[in-house]
Amino acid sequence: MNIMIGLINGMIAAATPILLAALGGTLTYYAGIFNIAMEGMMLSGAFFAVLGSYFFHSWIVGILFGVLGAILIALIFIFFSIFLKVDEFVTGVGLNLFAVGLTTYLLRQIFNVKGAFTDPGIVPIPKIQIPMIQNIPVLGKILSGQNLIVYIALIAVIFITWLVFKTRFGLRLRAAGYNSTCLDTSGVSSNLIRFHSLMLCGILCGFAGSFLSLGYVTLFTENMSAGRGWISLAAVILVSGNPLGIALVSLLFGFADGLGLFLQQSLPSQFTSMVPYVATLIALFIYSIRKKKKEALI
Amino acid sequence: MKRNLFVNLAGVLIAMLLGAIVMLIQGYNPAETYGALFGYSLANFYSFSTTLRNAVPLILTGLSASVAFASGPVNLGQPGQFLIGAIFCVIGGLYVDLPPFLMIPFLLLLSMLGGAFWSGIAALLKKFFRMDEFITTLMLNMIADYLTYWAITYPLFEPRANHPQTPLITKNGFMPKWGNFNTNVIVMLLVFFVIWFIFNRTIAGYEWRISGKNSLFARIGGVKIEKNYLSVMLLTGALAGLAGGLVIMSGPHRFIKGLGANYAWDGIMIAMVANNGITATLLYGLFFSILQTGSLGMELITAVPSELITVLQAVIVLVVVAGRGYFELMIAKIATRRKLKDRDIHPQFIDQNAINREDTKL
Repeated sequence: MNIMIGLINGMIAAATPILLAALGGTLTYYAGIFNIAMEGMMLSGAFFAVLGSYFFHSWIVGILFGVLGAILIALIFIFFSIFLKVDEFVTGVGLNLFAVGLTTYLLRQIFNVKGAFTDPGIVPIPKIQIPMIQNIPVLGKILSGQNLIVYIALIAVIFITWLVFKTRFGLRLRAAGYNSTCLDTSGVSSNLIRFHSLMLCGILCGFAGSFLSLGYVTLFTENMSAGRGWISLAAVILVSGNPLGIALVSLLFGFADGLGLFLQQSLPSQFTSMVPYVATLIALFIYSIRKKKKEALI
Repeated sequence: MKRNLFVNLAGVLIAMLLGAIVMLIQGYNPAETYGALFGYSLANFYSFSTTLRNAVPLILTGLSASVAFASGPVNLGQPGQFLIGAIFCVIGGLYVDLPPFLMIPFLLLLSMLGGAFWSGIAALLKKFFRMDEFITTLMLNMIADYLTYWAITYPLFEPRANHPQTPLITKNGFMPKWGNFNTNVIVMLLVFFVIWFIFNRTIAGYEWRISGKNSLFARIGGVKIEKNYLSVMLLTGALAGLAGGLVIMSGPHRFIKGLGANYAWDGIMIAMVANNGITATLLYGLFFSILQTGSLGMELITAVPSELITVLQAVIVLVVVAGRGYFELMIAKIATRRKLKDRDIHPQFIDQNAINREDTKL
């Protein structure tokens, strides 16, 4: 039973950063932005979260810095893609590499280390015990005692769903992606909507990054986002942006990650580390088969 | 052409100025730092030949990305194809032994085969299941990373080493050196000319370029898009694989963990900053190699961390690409104004948005 609970909690922990980044990605997806900078935003967020937490001995400052770090990348993205009209794809790839360079350089400059920085002075984000629920026999250990960011991610799913489908902003957001000229002629600047969607994406990726470096583990390593931004992009594409679908797909990826850890008893760790990426390929594969069938019906 | 050169030079200069400002803020002397940087990579024959050798994987992966992007397929799989090419080369070098004049071409072909094999997987997934190559190649990169890591940890592991690496490949597979000049440069130049010729002077190259610019037009004109897609993917995979093989044969002569962690992504970056031009890729590859090779000297002489160069590279890419886009926009605007003047319409009466509908401000 304890193994089961451990596996489920591992799943949830692995799914959280992907979920948060994918929620950010879904906002830009609806706004019609080909945003592939989630990877860079997450990495930058992870670094600055450690920076804030280490120097101010507070995880709150850590999260704040993490969010600001991700917003920094989002702002550069906005400057280049919306303001200067540079190709979004080029901007995204350039920014992802910029984030890798920046964090490695600052790691060296500020902490004087190469590769990884870990220190007892980094304050991790606490786990939240929910009073009544934690006493429920089995569910209590899953529903309660998760990292704060996990609960934030859950709230974010509901919030983003509401934001996209039930508010005026959400309508305009979808209009910006569907037909931006139409939105512009009706008096709403589609660029402004895109600006907002990218900023929100930055905030969500900042949470994802903070979770990576202050929740999942308490350290920063070079390039620690390790393709999670890309996986989250795949998740967005798989469900065509639906937030609830993203939550499910993220859990699936989390499950793949947990499965990898579980398989480590019988397989070399290099193969088990591949599992999430293989799972992404399989998911895309199933998606394309289903799409083919649908098209055949029409 | 002149305009292009101007934009590129201006972009690089602005990026380096930004770098100088960062150095000033941190209390380093920019002139001294840049002096050390270029001195270390260009000062004499020895350092210049090192720069040339380091440029080879950058230019080859850059060519791979340039050809792919310019022809349509978004092949971002250079890092994975590079690694698979390298591991194929190592396997060949460990288990086969031929005289050098046979061994070197054999290993080069083998590494190209490895790269093409890895990009071929993505191409087939696209062909049969319409899975976007841009995500599949990225996922295949990570898989290749772990696959090669496994290969050098278990089956190809050198028992005497403390960390994962393979034994040395056979001496016959080493690229010959003249002094410090490594002949991998000659292979790279040959490949460059072949690629340039195919891309600019053959029917296939013409079809690729047209498909990249406007695939619908190409299809209507009778270009077999899918066949071309497969050949471009295979060719670009082979190029990245060749880069991996050449790194093994001219550098450490064995597969070390973390080999080429940067080369291939730098190649993609070079393709972007070069706007997918074949000759521009060669020049930018050389320039990035100057920066990277010099960064070590910069760190030795002036204590500026070599990691600064990774930031500088990304800044160069962003500034040059943005500058190019903005410059073209300005030129289009000026041209429109001039046309309006010819027709006696005063530009003030024209809605700015009509000139360029996309150019709405925030």
